[in-house]
Amino acid sequence: MIQNYLILSIILFCLGILGVITRRNVFTVFMSIELMLNAANLAFLAFSRLHESMDGHVLAMMVMAVAAAEAALALAVVILLHKHKGKLDTNLFSLLKG
Amino acid sequence: MEHTSTYIGLTPLFPLLGALVLGLMHMLTCTKTRLPEKLYGVLACVGPLLSFFLALVIFYHLKGLPTEERFLSHNAFTWFAVGDLHVNMGFLADPLSSLMLLFVTFIGSLIHIYSIGYMAGDKNFGKFFAYLNLFLGSMLILVLGSGPIVMFVGWEGVGLCSYLLISFYSEDTDNVLAGNKAFIVNRIGDLGFVLGMSFLFWAIGTNGFDYLSLKVNAHNLTPAIGITVCLLLFIGACGKSAQIPLYVWLPDAMAGPTPVSALIHAATMVTAGVYMVARFSFLYTHFPLAGSVVAWIGILTALLAATFGMFQKDIKKILAYSTVSQLGYMFAAVGIAAYSAGIFHVFTHAFFKALLFLGAGSVIYALHHQQDIWQMGGLKDKMPTTYKTMVIGALALSGAPLFSGFFSKDEILFSALASGHSGIWIIGVLVAGMTAYYTFRMIFLVFHGEPRDKDLYEHAKDAPPLMTIPLIILAVGAAFAGVLNLPAIFGGSLTISHWLAPSLVEHHPHVSIWIEILAIVTSVAAFAIGITIAYKKFAHGAEEPVYTGLGKFGYNKFYVDEIYNAVFVQPYKAVGAVISKFLEPNVTDIHVKLSSWLYQKAGKAFKVFQVGYIRVYAIYMVIGLSLMSLFLSHSIN
Amino acid sequence: MFEYALSVMIFLPIVTGLVMLLFPLSKETARITGFIVTVAILFRGIEIFLSFTGTGGMEYVESRSWIQSLGISYGLGIDGISLLVLMAGTVLFPMLFTIFKTQPKGYYANLLIAQGAMIGAICATDLVLFYIFWEVMLLPIFFMIGLYGGSKRLPATLKITIYTIAGSLLMLAALVYVGVSYHTQFGKWTFAIVQLSELELGGGFAVLAFFMFMVAFAIKIPLFPFHTWLPDAYTEAPTATTFVLSAIMAKIGVYAVIRFVMPVFEIEFARFAVLLSLAGVTGMIYCGLAAISQKDMKRMLAFSSASHMGIIALGVFCMNVQALTGTLFQIAAHATSTGVLFLFVGLMEERMQTRKIENLGGIAYRAPIFATFFAIAMLASVGLPATSGFIGEFLIILGAIKFNAFIGILAGTTLVIGVCYMLWMFQRVFFERSNERTENFQDLNLSEALTFLPVIVLIFAMGIFPQAFIKKIEPAAQQQIAKAFAMPQAQVAETIVPTPGHNNHKE
Repeated sequence: MIQNYLILSIILFCLGILGVITRRNVFTVFMSIELMLNAANLAFLAFSRLHESMDGHVLAMMVMAVAAAEAALALAVVILLHKHKGKLDTNLFSLLKG
Repeated sequence: MEHTSTYIGLTPLFPLLGALVLGLMHMLTCTKTRLPEKLYGVLACVGPLLSFFLALVIFYHLKGLPTEERFLSHNAFTWFAVGDLHVNMGFLADPLSSLMLLFVTFIGSLIHIYSIGYMAGDKNFGKFFAYLNLFLGSMLILVLGSGPIVMFVGWEGVGLCSYLLISFYSEDTDNVLAGNKAFIVNRIGDLGFVLGMSFLFWAIGTNGFDYLSLKVNAHNLTPAIGITVCLLLFIGACGKSAQIPLYVWLPDAMAGPTPVSALIHAATMVTAGVYMVARFSFLYTHFPLAGSVVAWIGILTALLAATFGMFQKDIKKILAYSTVSQLGYMFAAVGIAAYSAGIFHVFTHAFFKALLFLGAGSVIYALHHQQDIWQMGGLKDKMPTTYKTMVIGALALSGAPLFSGFFSKDEILFSALASGHSGIWIIGVLVAGMTAYYTFRMIFLVFHGEPRDKDLYEHAKDAPPLMTIPLIILAVGAAFAGVLNLPAIFGGSLTISHWLAPSLVEHHPHVSIWIEILAIVTSVAAFAIGITIAYKKFAHGAEEPVYTGLGKFGYNKFYVDEIYNAVFVQPYKAVGAVISKFLEPNVTDIHVKLSSWLYQKAGKAFKVFQVGYIRVYAIYMVIGLSLMSLFLSHSIN
Repeated sequence: MFEYALSVMIFLPIVTGLVMLLFPLSKETARITGFIVTVAILFRGIEIFLSFTGTGGMEYVESRSWIQSLGISYGLGIDGISLLVLMAGTVLFPMLFTIFKTQPKGYYANLLIAQGAMIGAICATDLVLFYIFWEVMLLPIFFMIGLYGGSKRLPATLKITIYTIAGSLLMLAALVYVGVSYHTQFGKWTFAIVQLSELELGGGFAVLAFFMFMVAFAIKIPLFPFHTWLPDAYTEAPTATTFVLSAIMAKIGVYAVIRFVMPVFEIEFARFAVLLSLAGVTGMIYCGLAAISQKDMKRMLAFSSASHMGIIALGVFCMNVQALTGTLFQIAAHATSTGVLFLFVGLMEERMQTRKIENLGGIAYRAPIFATFFAIAMLASVGLPATSGFIGEFLIILGAIKFNAFIGILAGTTLVIGVCYMLWMFQRVFFERSNERTENFQDLNLSEALTFLPVIVLIFAMGIFPQAFIKKIEPAAQQQIAKAFAMPQAQVAETIVPTPGHNNHKE
């Protein structure tokens, strides 16, 4: 039973990773990250159900709160990025190149 | 055997206090209003005179004791005690130190009085006397110290004062350089002293590190250590007493005011080395080999300095080289274990050399700081007192019969002959002749013949009484100090030698009277020959010769200063420059340079991974996470 | 209050410093607060010195369990070994607040923090506690050089920081090794130095750990060839920092060798003593020679300081009571001479905006009081008898001769080398002709003169009455040698060596 949830979680997580790696639009990358977080949440809830404890729920709530905070911050960053270059292509932002 | 008496500790204290008071007064007022010279002068003379008084008290105190008990000591406090090293700030007055004390304080007081006249009008009048008092205090610590370490306090103290006074006219770079040279060369000697003390301590000092305990334990020394210690201590003596190879600073030291040359660089400080060797007579007697080294270096220094003295034209430099030469005699004496003869020569030398320097000071003072003897001449009518006293001094220095120098020098030459050191004796006689020659060359050129510089001659006159009275007193001493140690052949009984006997470890050789007569006759002959040549050449006017060949070599002092400069000073500076310009930034720092180079290279190597695209970093993360998971799953299973 | 004397001395300045940083105070308030705090510390220090009995054991002991699972404790205490280091860290500190009057607030705050951390490192009897203070010590120095230093301060800051942290990390690793070794041998955790000294270490790891400790301390001392950070840091640092670095912090390096390395690694210590003492002597000669060709007074003094530290370190490696006592004495004496010379140079720089020797000259005529004070400190630094510098150097040379005649003779050359550069510098700065820069040089005013007067008095007091200090430190030195080299104390005192140069500890 638990396997199904976990497999779904893994699929979601891998999709998120793929999105982060392959997409060039900052928004899409950001959404992919959210996808990964939700994959983790799913796993938490599944385990919580399995162990019949509320710990997983607590953590899931926490992740959601963090994600919300992160979204607020990230959107501000995205706006700044757009102001800076006019586009939201990640390839444009490679200042950390050594 | 030892008596305790507190008051001897006060002897050095008076001049030191004087130095403190004078120094503070000068330091606090010299940039604003200047205090009257009279005040300084009186304050300056109080300390030395009180010390002289105490020296007399000590002398009579000792005299009242039985011969074997003539040791007064006073341990003021424990200076430092570490492990088995226990050093007291202690003072010891025995016959040897009391004799030194007497003439040091006596001549010191006279020179203080003389300086009031000589330094009049100088803007650093107070400073001069502060230094002079400090010197006297240090010298008294040197003489009275009960052990080598306390002696070393005075030893370095007089070196410091010597430095301060040589560079007294410090606006002139040459003077300061001369002062530096004196201090540094002395420090090289002091290095020998410190090392010698250290070896001595580990060998026999653990049961008490003062002269009396060391004397008791001296027989425990092994020859190797004993000779090492003796030679190291002698290096110290070489520095302080200007012997080969460390004599070079003394002629330059004449840059200081003339009373300083008289007191420090002729009468007292430079004889400290002789005093030290005599103090350690219990060591040097045990190790005749070390003694021979001392004696030979001494007599060779005497010869070398006398050679240089014959060519000098600066009146003070002539006297400086003659001091070096006489010091050589003293070392020859203490080297062949004739300690009392050496100390006796220290004693008479102090009188006649101080006299000659002060006389030269009068001449220089009268001629407005002209020091070139080829610019003088005919001064005997203008400056009769100075002339008469200086002639007495010159006679004593060159060993004219019945003057003080004659007896002391004769004692040394006789001891050399009697103890079988005929080489030393022959050189000694030769040097005696040379001494007579260069001394009277100076006297004749300065006082006889026609004046060479009319202008200076016209204005020359005898110095004020404040300066001439010390001259007269010293002249009396220079003439008659010899009677204090008349040998049996002149009807005396070697009073000073007997007085010194409890402090020294020496054996008087018994030889036939003919040897004594031989010694006397040869030295009188040497004197006569020397003075005759000088008379023929210089008494009736002579012009400054242009030296060529060997003469030029001698005139330039065998280029020793230049050689030292090229061999020691310049390489020293060059090494310093190489270290700070090349080694320090490039070689010593190599471990730092290497690690930062490594960091840079590693950074360059890892740089390729830093592509700048976020997704690539995400791939790294995925790879890392996968590897971690793999590792975890492996370790769980 | 009394039983927490040391804690107060550590945390009063640290807390004051932090508070000063947090609140907007004026420069003047900050300076006066700092002055009051350091004077209070000074009085505590003097009180500790006077009531110190000097029997050789720890006094003013404080011990609290801190991290029980690892046996780490908050242990403080003072004995003869740390006493004079503590004095160096307390006595001269108030001067910094009266001489440098126009510095920013952070400057004074950092000075206070530095003092607290240094006192902590000096008093700590637990290796971990010591390590913590040792690291904290560096922070204020980092900020002071980086913020208030000279024009080339940034490279200097980076160099000193990275250099010392690299050393500290080596020490941390070695420290863990020591703790673990103790756990294996005795089955419990502790880092208290008294217990650690019972350790019996051996083998390659012990040698490695020994050298890791030694490198850490050698960097701080600095011992040749780890001194290369010193000239830049000393020159670029603001004068007060240079003073702190040279007068106190370098000494803590030497002190730490005596306190922690000597009792724990006695075998390795004896084994490598010749090598290490050669490093000390080489450093002394090398830096002394380098000093002569310096054109900047402060840089010259930096090399001079490094040169003297070589001799001070040498005293530790000679492994006899004379040399060790000499080192402990010289630790304090060096602060009164070279440390104070740095302050004098700082004053000159404030007045003339230059430290170049060639630009100066003739100051002695304009400023006799300043010249006299400078000369006295200089003579103390070259080790003239009757000043503070002599006794220590003499004892170290004496001990070195016993340890190894060759090294002793090399060590003796410090007498000559020091004089050469010092006199030449003195000549060019204070004598000769004055120029337009030095023409209007102001002599010390009353308050400055009064600030320096105690130091001058101290220089003479330490030279003439050294026994007052030595009698408090000598028993501890005896015990340290006796414990570390496993000889009964009586035997150390009565060792009679037939031939000097033979080292009887190394059988």
